[in-house]
Amino acid sequence: MNYGPLLFLAAFFALASSWCGLVLAPQLQVGQLQQTNTLSGGATYPLGRPGEAQQGLQVYRANGCASCHSQQVRQSRTVCDVVLTEAGTNQAALIPALLTLKCGTVPTEAEQHAAATAKGKPPARIQDFSEPEARELLAHLPQPVRQGLTREEANADVKALTAAGAKALIWIVPIGPDISRVWGLRRTVAEDFLFDYPVMPGSQRIGPDLANVGLRLPDANWHLRHLYAPRLYEKGSTMPPYCFLFEKRKIETEPSPEALTLPPELAPEPGYEIVPKQAAKALAAYLTSLRADASLFVAPLVAASAATGTTTNAPVASEPGSTNPVPANPPPK
Amino acid sequence: MSPEASQLTPTTSDAAEPKAGAAAVPIVLLVLPVLILYWGMIYFDRNSGWFSPQVYAPYHSVAELTLYQPPTGGLDLARGKAVYETICALCHNNDGMGKPNQAPAFVGSEWVLGSPNRMIRIPLVGLAGPVKVKDQEWNLAMPNMGAALSDDDLAAVLTYIRQSWGNKASIITPAQVSAVRKEIGNRTQPWSASELQAIP
Repeated sequence: MNYGPLLFLAAFFALASSWCGLVLAPQLQVGQLQQTNTLSGGATYPLGRPGEAQQGLQVYRANGCASCHSQQVRQSRTVCDVVLTEAGTNQAALIPALLTLKCGTVPTEAEQHAAATAKGKPPARIQDFSEPEARELLAHLPQPVRQGLTREEANADVKALTAAGAKALIWIVPIGPDISRVWGLRRTVAEDFLFDYPVMPGSQRIGPDLANVGLRLPDANWHLRHLYAPRLYEKGSTMPPYCFLFEKRKIETEPSPEALTLPPELAPEPGYEIVPKQAAKALAAYLTSLRADASLFVAPLVAASAATGTTTNAPVASEPGSTNPVPANPPPK
Repeated sequence: MSPEASQLTPTTSDAAEPKAGAAAVPIVLLVLPVLILYWGMIYFDRNSGWFSPQVYAPYHSVAELTLYQPPTGGLDLARGKAVYETICALCHNNDGMGKPNQAPAFVGSEWVLGSPNRMIRIPLVGLAGPVKVKDQEWNLAMPNMGAALSDDDLAAVLTYIRQSWGNKASIITPAQVSAVRKEIGNRTQPWSASELQAIP
């Protein structure tokens, strides 16, 4: 061993450099992460999960949910949309200004985004439009007039519209493959996991991403039924049923309010009911608590849901008495 | 060849031993690492964000991130939405449809779509007693929100209510809110519906 000290030093530096890169540098970067404020409204973010949801995190961990589900939304770019909010009084100047807004090349992702946010609604204006169309547009404000811009282009457009007496806003719209799948509104950042231990961002996507599952599917009962029988909602689902988180009980005096409402082929024999155990309730509480859509300094966005709500909502007269119309979207395949 | 024959081969002269001499390194092997190093530096420069904890892909630097912050000032529907969902939505519901026996709907309500001066007064000191909304009689108490919300927040949330879920009414500016706030002064008594009806 003529070279003993040299070998020792070489091994030491090899291990030390990887330790620095994989442990020390991330710790220095985000080890001191604190709660921040959201950009709109200035609310504190993130708030800790409620107690039952924290228990649910451990159930999520124990059942290996993270080996098939990720909690990371990817974002490839950020674009700006120019939204006309008020026409002002000088239409004679505004319409030429609208017509001269040069339409940039709109990326396909932005088109997908527009299609995803305005489901079934008339497509947002991403092409050049004619004068009658511009008049039609002014009758239905606020409306996006240009999409998929850089911030500089958007600023220039807003300046042109403001000069014509109108008022325009800039929306900050993250785009990316996961955002087109409606798995989130923006990318996932370290803040989203601040109070989670352990952090389980997942690595495989055998099932859909769950970073915003509480936003897509806010109903805990939906999650309970889905955990009990995944193929109830999605015919070809490869998710295993988590029946062991539920128990079959004899109905003593009257049915439990927590009992699952199941279709006849899955329902237990008469006189029995399927009731979630504490673990299932905690897991459902955890899943409904998963939503990472706050607009932050590190991941800015201007809420597109507020935007679609104001621009494209159908008249409510058509759905009278709907007190909870939050659509239970089917999980994306 | 037999072993004997191979032993007989002359190995006497040292000069005959092959020796490694100096040879020029191919120029490619010099240029390539330099190019790789150059590309690496450019990649690092563009994508490292200088190890700032605030910079995530797809942003490249804090300066670029700052460029994409939403514009501040003026009326922001997103801000109105945030205030609405933290405060108003508890009773009036996220979709503005109200909740039975808690709060009336905002959608299509004549109180929302009507006079701004009337609407601003309701959250400022509250509204109690019988009130008719969309031909339905309500008799509840709307709490006083004036102290909790700044003029900007109140203007943003009222504008959000007036322009969301199919409602189409004019915006409300912070100046209007502050004018109404001055007008009503120190009043803490909630309004009654008839008092509000008298306001233009």
